[in-house]
Amino acid sequence: MADHLLEVQDLHTVFPTKDGVVKAVDGVSFHLDPGETLGIVGESGSGKSVTVLSVMRLLQRPGRIASGRILYKGRDLAKASDPEMQEIRGEEIAMIFQDPMTSMNPVFKTGWQVGEPLRLHKNFDAKKALKEAVGFLHKVGIPEADKRADQYPHEFSGGMRQRAMIAMGLSTGPNVLIADEPTTALDVTIQAQILDLLRKVNHDFGTATILITHNLGVVAGMCERVMVMYAGKVAEQGPTEDVFANPKHPYTWSLLRSIPRLDAQEHEPLRAIEGLPPDLINPPTGCPFHPRCPFRIDRCIREMPPLEPVGPTQLATCWVTQAGRDLNEAAS
Amino acid sequence: MAVDQTTITQLEGTPVQYEGGLARPAQSYWSESWERLRGSHFGMFFGGVLVVLAVIAITAPLFSAFVTHLAPTSVNLNDSFAPFSRAHPLGTDELGRDTLTRLVYGARVSLGVGFLTVAIYLLIGGSVGISAGFYGGWWDDLLMRFVDILLAIPTIYLLIMITSMLPLPIGPIIIRHDAFSLSTIIAITVWGTVARLVRGEVLTVKNRDFILATRSIGASNLRLMLRHLLPNVLPVMIVAASLGVGQIILLEAALDFIGLGVQPPTASWGNMLLNAQSYFYHSTSLVILPGICIVLAVLSANIFGNAVRDAFDPRLK
Repeated sequence: MADHLLEVQDLHTVFPTKDGVVKAVDGVSFHLDPGETLGIVGESGSGKSVTVLSVMRLLQRPGRIASGRILYKGRDLAKASDPEMQEIRGEEIAMIFQDPMTSMNPVFKTGWQVGEPLRLHKNFDAKKALKEAVGFLHKVGIPEADKRADQYPHEFSGGMRQRAMIAMGLSTGPNVLIADEPTTALDVTIQAQILDLLRKVNHDFGTATILITHNLGVVAGMCERVMVMYAGKVAEQGPTEDVFANPKHPYTWSLLRSIPRLDAQEHEPLRAIEGLPPDLINPPTGCPFHPRCPFRIDRCIREMPPLEPVGPTQLATCWVTQAGRDLNEAAS
Repeated sequence: MAVDQTTITQLEGTPVQYEGGLARPAQSYWSESWERLRGSHFGMFFGGVLVVLAVIAITAPLFSAFVTHLAPTSVNLNDSFAPFSRAHPLGTDELGRDTLTRLVYGARVSLGVGFLTVAIYLLIGGSVGISAGFYGGWWDDLLMRFVDILLAIPTIYLLIMITSMLPLPIGPIIIRHDAFSLSTIIAITVWGTVARLVRGEVLTVKNRDFILATRSIGASNLRLMLRHLLPNVLPVMIVAASLGVGQIILLEAALDFIGLGVQPPTASWGNMLLNAQSYFYHSTSLVILPGICIVLAVLSANIFGNAVRDAFDPRLK
């Protein structure tokens, strides 16, 4: 068996609601190797966040992992006890959240908060943790880190708070850093700075990174591999370059085609994906993308395709491409 | 054009001050609230009265040894109903006990019970509120239905019921009518409202992202509740406590007055009033003096409590 740092196998996460069971994550498998950057893309509600929250075992009630394995260094996190998970969270796997404005506790000074993982996992005393925290704040590019550490989060800008959150995540030297849409709440120039920082972190510390985003441009610039999700399922995964050049799932193909292009003709309309995202309580039969798919064949309506290799480097869940058709050729 | 040019050069000439944000020292919630409290002169004055009363209460034995030279229980039947004099600045009661000394000792009971009870009910109400709000589910239902039941019974009846069972032996301990037991009993009957308030606040705080973020760095539930959640609900607890002391002093005095509180010969303002009832026409001061003490203590506690609430309640900013 290949030794991946993190390997998720056939993960199913469900949210029982009064209207029925929402299958937020429905048979997702992927892996992450040391030092690698994996992008997870998909539209809102496609299960990106729930997937990583399942890995961290941070699902809010009533969400729960119904089945599947989450192997981290060979240990199954899906079955780990709460104390075991507390050891892993922050120490082995750290996470950065979408909205830096609300992800820091307003009543504590920034330096204290950034040092919290060190007090929890490394038994640092308050003074040593603060000193280390200041060092990390400096490393993530916060000027006058010693003074800044003495300030409350509300005195920080959004970009600086996100930097502080990254410093907090890094302080214990985790093997995996999960960034859940880390730049969505920030404006464009700050987005670029934070992405640069994440790239630098990945490079300098060798931290494997999972980057969740719905921005394909971010994936193209940041990630070695990409996983595209649709309706709680994996649509396609593979090396970013290959997936972008030669998508093997109609959803990826449609997504890439719908990006506005600078070299487009004047008055050329934007090409949106027709239809609406599926209802996760009663998903469509067969492939969940079939109602919106321009390449649909009869089999798609009846049967869900498995995740299988298509081409030398990619995996996709699509009967059409698995049968050997090329989407770019088929469309023209 | 020329005007535009000069404006631009002026703008360019102005050094950009990025340091501005750092020049002003960070003000925490606590220092900000404390400053607001200090700004309320009326509140601070009565806070001062409360402090003076507390100091007198704490130093009661010194007071009796060096100022009045009398113990609160020393009886002198030759000197009953003495008028105000040098030896007895506030006169004596029917047994010739010095009224001033007894009032000073009474302050111990009233203020002691007042503050101790509030401390105990904050502890109970806070723990119940935080754990109910944090864990939710059946635990929340269980605790909150219990609170509902508790709050459905008028406090004074509950208190009369419990205190009339005293002295109550529980295992090796016998619960008597002393100040500590009374504090515990009163606290047990009134913590419900605090628990509700705290739970409500926890519910709004616990779904904020920073709690999830704190979980994601591996904090245990206990640490989340005590270290990360508690400071966020502390303002609510302070507000809940601010008006509690006055209420509790009144409640305790009422219990003493109906004879179910601190028992004679131990002096308390409430049982001094009860005692003075019989001699109302003979010696009016025996009624008026403990009454004034109760009013002064409750008034100070309430006015100061109001000022504390105004200063610390984040919603009133």
